[in-house]
Amino acid sequence: MKIAVCVKQVPDSWAEKKLRDGDSLLDRDSVEAVLNELDEYAIEEALQITEAQGGGEVVIVTMGPERAGEAVRKALSMGADSGIHLVDASLAGSDAAGTSYALAKLLEGRGFDLIMFGSESTDARMSVVPSMVAERLGLPQLTFANKVEVSGGTVTIDRVGDYGIETISAATPAVLGMIERSNEPRYPSFKGIMAAKKKPVETVSAADAGIDAGAVGTSGSWSQVNSFAARPPKAAGVVVQDEGAGGVAIAEFLDAQKVL
Amino acid sequence: MDVLVMIVAAIVTVIAVGLFARTVVGFVRQFKVGKSINRTDKPALRTLTLLKEVFLATRLKQKPVGPIVAVSHLIVLIAFGVLFFTLVTAYGQLINPDFALPLIGHWPAFSYLIEIMSWLMVLAILILIAVRVARRPNPQQPRKSRFFGSTMWQAYYVEFTILAIGIFVLALRAAEYARGSVQGEEFIHSNFPLTGWIGENWTGLSLETLATLILLLAFGKILVSMAWFVTVAMTPTMGVAWHRFLAFFNVWFQRNANGKPALGQLEPIRYDGVALDFEKLDDFPDDIALGVTAMTDFSWKALLDFSTCTECGRCQSQCPAWNTEKPLSPKLLTIAMRNHAHAISPWMTATEEERAHLDPALIELAEKPLVGEDGVITDDILWSCTTCGACVNQCPVDIAHIDHIVDIRRSQVLVLSEFPTELNGLFKNVENKGNPWGMNASGRNDWISEVDFDVKVFGMDGEDTIPEDIDYLFWVGCAGAYEDRAKRTTKNVAELMNIAGVSFMVLGEGETCTGDPARRAGNEFLFQMQAAQNIEVLNEIKATKIVVTCPHCLNALKREYPQLGGNYEVVHHTELLNDLVKAGRLTPVNKIDQTVTYHDPCYLGRHNQVYNPPRELISATADSFVEMDRNRDKSFCCGAGGARMWMEEKLGTRINQTRGDEAIATGAKRIAVGCPFCSVMLNDAVNTRQQEPGRALGVEVVDVSTLLLDAAKS
Repeated sequence: MKIAVCVKQVPDSWAEKKLRDGDSLLDRDSVEAVLNELDEYAIEEALQITEAQGGGEVVIVTMGPERAGEAVRKALSMGADSGIHLVDASLAGSDAAGTSYALAKLLEGRGFDLIMFGSESTDARMSVVPSMVAERLGLPQLTFANKVEVSGGTVTIDRVGDYGIETISAATPAVLGMIERSNEPRYPSFKGIMAAKKKPVETVSAADAGIDAGAVGTSGSWSQVNSFAARPPKAAGVVVQDEGAGGVAIAEFLDAQKVL
Repeated sequence: MDVLVMIVAAIVTVIAVGLFARTVVGFVRQFKVGKSINRTDKPALRTLTLLKEVFLATRLKQKPVGPIVAVSHLIVLIAFGVLFFTLVTAYGQLINPDFALPLIGHWPAFSYLIEIMSWLMVLAILILIAVRVARRPNPQQPRKSRFFGSTMWQAYYVEFTILAIGIFVLALRAAEYARGSVQGEEFIHSNFPLTGWIGENWTGLSLETLATLILLLAFGKILVSMAWFVTVAMTPTMGVAWHRFLAFFNVWFQRNANGKPALGQLEPIRYDGVALDFEKLDDFPDDIALGVTAMTDFSWKALLDFSTCTECGRCQSQCPAWNTEKPLSPKLLTIAMRNHAHAISPWMTATEEERAHLDPALIELAEKPLVGEDGVITDDILWSCTTCGACVNQCPVDIAHIDHIVDIRRSQVLVLSEFPTELNGLFKNVENKGNPWGMNASGRNDWISEVDFDVKVFGMDGEDTIPEDIDYLFWVGCAGAYEDRAKRTTKNVAELMNIAGVSFMVLGEGETCTGDPARRAGNEFLFQMQAAQNIEVLNEIKATKIVVTCPHCLNALKREYPQLGGNYEVVHHTELLNDLVKAGRLTPVNKIDQTVTYHDPCYLGRHNQVYNPPRELISATADSFVEMDRNRDKSFCCGAGGARMWMEEKLGTRINQTRGDEAIATGAKRIAVGCPFCSVMLNDAVNTRQQEPGRALGVEVVDVSTLLLDAAKS
């Protein structure tokens, strides 16, 4: 079984992030970059599937600047076999639609049985790229997957939704989005880190992948950032001293907030 | 009959000596398989250390045995050497009943020495046997015995052999006296001070009978001695016997030439005997073996350690894991390694080519993993260790248990990726966030806004090295920055330094985890990444004097960073504060009118020998101080060391509860600690008890600095 795991390098999830004044894009230089945490669950799941089947291939796919290669190496150190890195200046600033277009072009025709994603990136948090890629490739989408089972040409998942868990299945090839409860991603062994240095990573340009430069990047994106402002600092909370009338004070507060 | 006896004695001796020599060669061959490690620095000091440890019994005086065992052991040890002469004499007596060693045989001084040593040896071995019998595992609580898991028959066999030899020597001398007396020899009057009275009873026997008696006694003595040689030669795993020979080497080759226990810094990870620098990762061979995956990955010194173990169980009696019903005992781990090493010794010492032709059963045994359900030890055994150092500190033959345990953990983490899943989070947090809790670096200075005096943060005024007028760099530590209880300590120490007029500076966001928990969990790679980062910063800003509140930071900065090029003068806050009180720069004005006890953190006490400053501080600030039963170098771990802070404690009873109960039992109202992890662990334990119905104990766990601040401010 040949599995693609699409990963993204994101700014450290907990760091304070800023948008750049000039192009309204995220200032990536000021924060530490890490492999999107949710993608680690997808990588782990892919590795477990191939391990359970006693063979197969896990290919790490990413789109991003030169530096995103670090995220690919990290994924390879966990045990994936090879990487594909789509890097092109024209791709900078692509929105979810643009990204899904580029990834679909990159993935099509490569014969993957499963295309796996973390269910969202911790920076943009759109959760739509897996579905969009599936749509563009005309493949079934199994998103918010918890438990995954592959048997023959069928993949079955537990889809964790807001109102319950659905068990759904589809024929391969299919697109999967993994949630963070699905497994415990492995810590790369030192051996894995050493081996990752020698694993092949194919660098692909937009032109190589047949991507129409007009459909990606800041200018080609369907959505545009017109303006932005920093979130106002958190206001101090209201402390109610209970001197016998605490309940009333709370009720009045809630009423003022139009909660009651 | 004489001739027959002589022939039998000769054959037995040749076989015994041959077998013994073969086993000695086997030991040397096995140790030579071990990886190289340099243990021959300062040979004169090493020799001095060996003499001290042997003849002053410095490693045996410690509780729980006390000086009686130490003296008894020393007597047997010396007698073993001295009485070798009587074995030589016995061979002579097979040929001639009146044989005596040339020159010294009838020299009164020699005779006195032999007789005194023989009687003392008999007495001493009886004491040692009595101790072993008294302390043998009892069926109700076998684990409480330090001899649990020791091979008792071997120890009794060795001890009764010694007893028998003593009795044979005394009986032989009595018979010599009787024969000399019958023959009217002069020398008997000055040579048999302690056996003549026995011999007097036999003077009625004929010369003939006495000659036969001497022959049989000499023969019996030789047989007992040779049986011992054969037994130990056939049983290389008989540590209780082999330690008589190996312990001298093991003590001489110990980690520290000056005889200090192998505590504090860990041995670095080595490849081909050279400490590895992970900065040069690209130069490493692809198949580099890190840590200990197989028996052949151990250093020769580790293999020597295993074989030297005497199974005395002093380590076991102190071990916090063993004492809380966990499967780890340092002794049992050492025994397991030793037994496996000897079981596969033919495989270990064979070349790759020869190995293929070995017995398939042996090859299968050699391939048995060191760790795992079907391994030499289980995962639970390996990961139960808190690296508290109680075992290393106790071991009379200087076995370095922690180094071996961590070396196995290194392979489990770096090579095999087999480790408790909780450590995943620890490693990721340290790697990505620079602290074990996964907090944001921006939170490192949060405590500063909670104090009402100025705290200098490095770089705030654009400085690029620590200014001349700064006395100390205050290394706050991750716990000190993020963990509530430890944060209070941080604020206390900052305030006390402020009051005393000690100028200090903090690194703020420039600080990151020292790597201590990663190193103790076996992740040497992560430790070195953290250490390299910190050393780069500290060297760049020219840090010289550093004060810390966390003993784990202390140990890393002071003892481990020198291995990687970071040399600083590091003190624990209790040391600094104590100096300030002594110098009159801090004055406890109102003594606390409560009884205080003190828990020695392992990494402050055993690993860094800071025992007195915290006690002096407490005495200066509180009316009365009471010790727990286990204190100072025998302090009982809180359970958080060795990265156990971040692992669940699923087996046995809880270590922190055991220690907390011990602290509560002193009746003290305040339990003082000097470590953020001890603070968390003991606080949990005390709270558990206080929440039990009817047990409002009113006991509080506090850092020593809190006591001082309370006393200095009020």
